[in-house]
Amino acid sequence: MNNLKKYNKVFTTLFNISDNQLNKDFTFNNVEDWDSIVHLSLITELEDTFNVMLETEDILSFGSYENGMRILEKYEISFTDV
Amino acid sequence: MHLGIDRHRPDRIAAIDDTGTELSYGGLCDFALEFGSMMPRRSIVFCLCENTIGALSGYIGCLSNHIVPLLIGAAIDRKLLVHLMEVYTPAYMWMPEGLVSEFNYPILYKGYGFVLVRTEHEPYPINDDLAMLLTTSGSTGSPKLVRHKYINLVANAKNVAALFDWTKKDRAVVDLPIQYTMGLNVINSHLYAGASVLLTEHNLMSPDFWRNIKDQRATNFTGVPFSYEVLFKLRFTRMDLPYLTTFAEGGGKLTDGMFADTADYASRTGKRFFATFGTTETSARLAFLPAELANSKIGSIGQAIPGGELFLLDEKGNEIKQKEAEGELGYRGPNVTMGYAYCRDDLMLGDEWQGEYRTGDIARRDRDGCYYILGRKSRFLKLYGLRVSLDRCERLIKDEFKIDCVCTGTDKRMDIYITEDKYKDEVRRFISIKTRIIMSAYAVFIVEIIPRNESGKVQYEALDRKLALRLI
Repeated sequence: MNNLKKYNKVFTTLFNISDNQLNKDFTFNNVEDWDSIVHLSLITELEDTFNVMLETEDILSFGSYENGMRILEKYEISFTDV
Repeated sequence: MHLGIDRHRPDRIAAIDDTGTELSYGGLCDFALEFGSMMPRRSIVFCLCENTIGALSGYIGCLSNHIVPLLIGAAIDRKLLVHLMEVYTPAYMWMPEGLVSEFNYPILYKGYGFVLVRTEHEPYPINDDLAMLLTTSGSTGSPKLVRHKYINLVANAKNVAALFDWTKKDRAVVDLPIQYTMGLNVINSHLYAGASVLLTEHNLMSPDFWRNIKDQRATNFTGVPFSYEVLFKLRFTRMDLPYLTTFAEGGGKLTDGMFADTADYASRTGKRFFATFGTTETSARLAFLPAELANSKIGSIGQAIPGGELFLLDEKGNEIKQKEAEGELGYRGPNVTMGYAYCRDDLMLGDEWQGEYRTGDIARRDRDGCYYILGRKSRFLKLYGLRVSLDRCERLIKDEFKIDCVCTGTDKRMDIYITEDKYKDEVRRFISIKTRIIMSAYAVFIVEIIPRNESGKVQYEALDRKLALRLI
């Protein structure tokens, strides 16, 4: 499974949605179910999936599906297929 | 005035909220006078709360004028709200302006973004001592309320302010909801001391929360166990928080690991960490562990707050006199509320508890007189004749595997819910070894997420076993 698929799977499992609902509008502010409890689970899942430890700043600013990828790229997780 | 707020210098700041609105003690007193002139004393008011100055001033306005509020969250489930309205027929409601259109009641008064509306109901006689109503943390969908009297709130505010040694200089960040007994207690104890409360609707996971802490130079933080889970996830021990010097915890038990780490962090950095224990039925706090004991009494709730007394009861309900003992935790003190209400007529009832409350928690007392909560009385199973704590099993599993976990069950079998498929066999083996009870006494279920409410408490009734993947 490539990183994008893994990344999407964390979201689709946690929010109980399908891949096509993941777009630039999938943000902390827009998604009703995305509260602090889910946020904690999300970060924990992503850290486990990609074997990284996010910095405080990155956990706090992880406010959307799209931005999350930019943040993980800082930890050398690539989302572009080679 | 409620909590003696008129004792403080009028220009001192009582509260600041996310909008940056500042409310002085003088302003709060003026508001309370005006608010009180809008309706008869002894009216019941449903206050739909959010952590803003509007909600806070309505609460103070009610209590200062012998008007009786029921504090509930503005986001309360509407079916439950309708049910509560039918049962308790409040003549008035105090709510954020944005909600007015939902109810279509005439507006009597506006202040700090909130409005007072008149419902179709008429005031009715209630007990003279009744001061305030709260729902209990456990009540979901039930109209059960806790009946507070005036002395409860004042005594607890005063005694809790004393144990923390709050002064006018303190600035408490309050993200726990106002309508939640612990959140309200943080507010009450600070206002009693003439300190400032920083009300926030931001949650711990939002950058705004931390910006607020820094900008407003918050000195005190109070959290529930879930708050501390978030703090640790955020690696808060590495954050630069020079002004934040007191960390308090209540509303449930931290894992021993988190307790020890927080105590260690506090002692390394010259901060204070207080574990506390409270219930809605005792107007919040009834016990606390002095900060200097946090490192040596990991997991303890310490001793009674000033003015109160803790005791243990055996299975027959008799007080246990031995120093070191285990039994149901009881408390005596001026903050014990009057009892429950299940219907409108119950608001006529007087003090049913007479200053004494059985918590329904099983606790252990050590040789130094410090208490440790072992779990809810109802959260113990008797498996193969042995008493097993569901809460302790949850903690053991969480500590060992670093995973989320919930245990329930009957005296025939314990059901363990986890979110990670890969640990299913290990969890079962581990808990069998720890409790020394055979593996067939345990069943493990995999769920996608453990359901929790807004304060992070597990909602056992929402755990759907049918949806879970059963794994023996």
